[in-house]
Amino acid sequence: MKSKRIILFRLGAILFLLIIAGIMMVIGRGHTVYVDNKSLEYNGQTYETPYKVVVFVDGEQVAKLYDKERGMTTCIGQKVAMSLEITQKKGGEEEVKNITISLPYNMDGIAINLPAYLAGLPEEAYLSEFQPAPDQPEEDESDEAVTDEFGLGDI
Amino acid sequence: MSMNDNKGGGKRLLDLARNNSVPLMFILICAVCIPVSGFSPAYLLNEILTRMGRNTFLILSLLIPIMAGMGLNFGMTLGAMAGEIGLILVADWQIWGIPGIILAMIISIPFSILLGLMCGNLMNKAKGREMVTGYIISFFVNGLYQLVVLYMMGSIIPIIHSSIKLPRGYGIRNTVSLLHMRQYLDNLLAIHIGGVKIPVLTFLITGLLCLFIIWFRKTKLGQDMRAVGQDMEVARDAGIKVERTRIIAIVMSTVFAGLGMVIYLQNMGNLSTYSSHTQIGMFCIAALLVGGASVDKASIGNVFLGVILFHLMFIVAPSTGAKITGDSMIGEYFRVFISYGVITLALIMYETKKRKAKGKAGQMLQLAQSEEDGQ
Repeated sequence: MKSKRIILFRLGAILFLLIIAGIMMVIGRGHTVYVDNKSLEYNGQTYETPYKVVVFVDGEQVAKLYDKERGMTTCIGQKVAMSLEITQKKGGEEEVKNITISLPYNMDGIAINLPAYLAGLPEEAYLSEFQPAPDQPEEDESDEAVTDEFGLGDI
Repeated sequence: MSMNDNKGGGKRLLDLARNNSVPLMFILICAVCIPVSGFSPAYLLNEILTRMGRNTFLILSLLIPIMAGMGLNFGMTLGAMAGEIGLILVADWQIWGIPGIILAMIISIPFSILLGLMCGNLMNKAKGREMVTGYIISFFVNGLYQLVVLYMMGSIIPIIHSSIKLPRGYGIRNTVSLLHMRQYLDNLLAIHIGGVKIPVLTFLITGLLCLFIIWFRKTKLGQDMRAVGQDMEVARDAGIKVERTRIIAIVMSTVFAGLGMVIYLQNMGNLSTYSSHTQIGMFCIAALLVGGASVDKASIGNVFLGVILFHLMFIVAPSTGAKITGDSMIGEYFRVFISYGVITLALIMYETKKRKAKGKAGQMLQLAQSEEDGQ
């Protein structure tokens, strides 16, 4: 009876830790979000860029984007909330828009095309995976200075 | 009467000084070095609080094996390696912030338990030589760790990100950035008073461990550990499962060391994959000894005093060395020399005390026997 209770307690503890770990994996997933202000062609239609977009995340300005510019921010979780100050034409009035975008779990770097998102296009049009530039070949880190096997160097 | 009182008082003072010679020596060193270093009190306080938050949890993990009579757990390095494995995986899975820290801690637990079980079992086979056994086990497991991290990660264990992997396609780089976890624990709930940052959450977690240790000492298992620590044979006769109790002590210490390593590295903000853990046991043990602990007796008070004194010396020594000799490396050498020196001193003092007690017991036995023969 006692051993049964111990086994149950242990299983409960393991289950509890697994649940916590699962929750942490979801709520703690970090993403790097790249915000593009670039014109886009979709289904034969061209979506033009606004003159200027200022991007705020958590009340902090993360980017001021003119045509063909890209900004970057990081976020933890599956959603990114941004506040956009959009100026359509030079010298025009600023329009403020608060947006929340769901982010796919499996992507580390996510590029969001603002003109496409603001035009209400589907996710496949405004969201794509950011592809980092391939690594430059580096020197092999295993090439270390020759020392004696006790790590005493040149003593 | 008054002369006897004076003599008694003097002897007591001498005993007190003798029993606390290491902390007193460090207080003296710090008292000399602080004014010479020229650091402001606010800077020193800030540094001490940061280092207290960073190191105290790790050092507290040493208390339970001491309670069980297993001496200073040099095998805590095993827990540190488990914590590092957790952090490497979490960094690759891109889990950031507090969730990343919690996940790394959870991942470290099964590794710590397995390594602790192995270490405890081996130590049971080398009773009376636990410290040196633990020290050598840590070298052995370091080899295993390198095998896993340098050859299995990326080839057998999936590692996705090239920022973590070596350019050859498998193995982990020398340094793993923990930028997205850096000081998240310390900054959450932190308060700033006069330019001094107090990492409240880290202190709360450390405080919880202190409360756990105080509570644990009063439990049946805690009492068993103390009994085992005092005399294994008597404990065995009293029906305590000595080997099992000792294994539990080491497993607990290893698990806490794993959690402590995660706290330590989130404060640092990067992980030296192949060297972060190598000296951690040595420095934690040195700090505990500086606080006045010994191989067979340590308290939470020793931990806090040790962290303050040891790290105060770490902060002021290079600057003092630079001011006195014009070379800051002198201070660096000095603090390394002190770290190892204090461990040597504590071990010598422990052995001397043990031999003295043994000699005294022998004399008493001889006296009793001669009295018996006389009758």
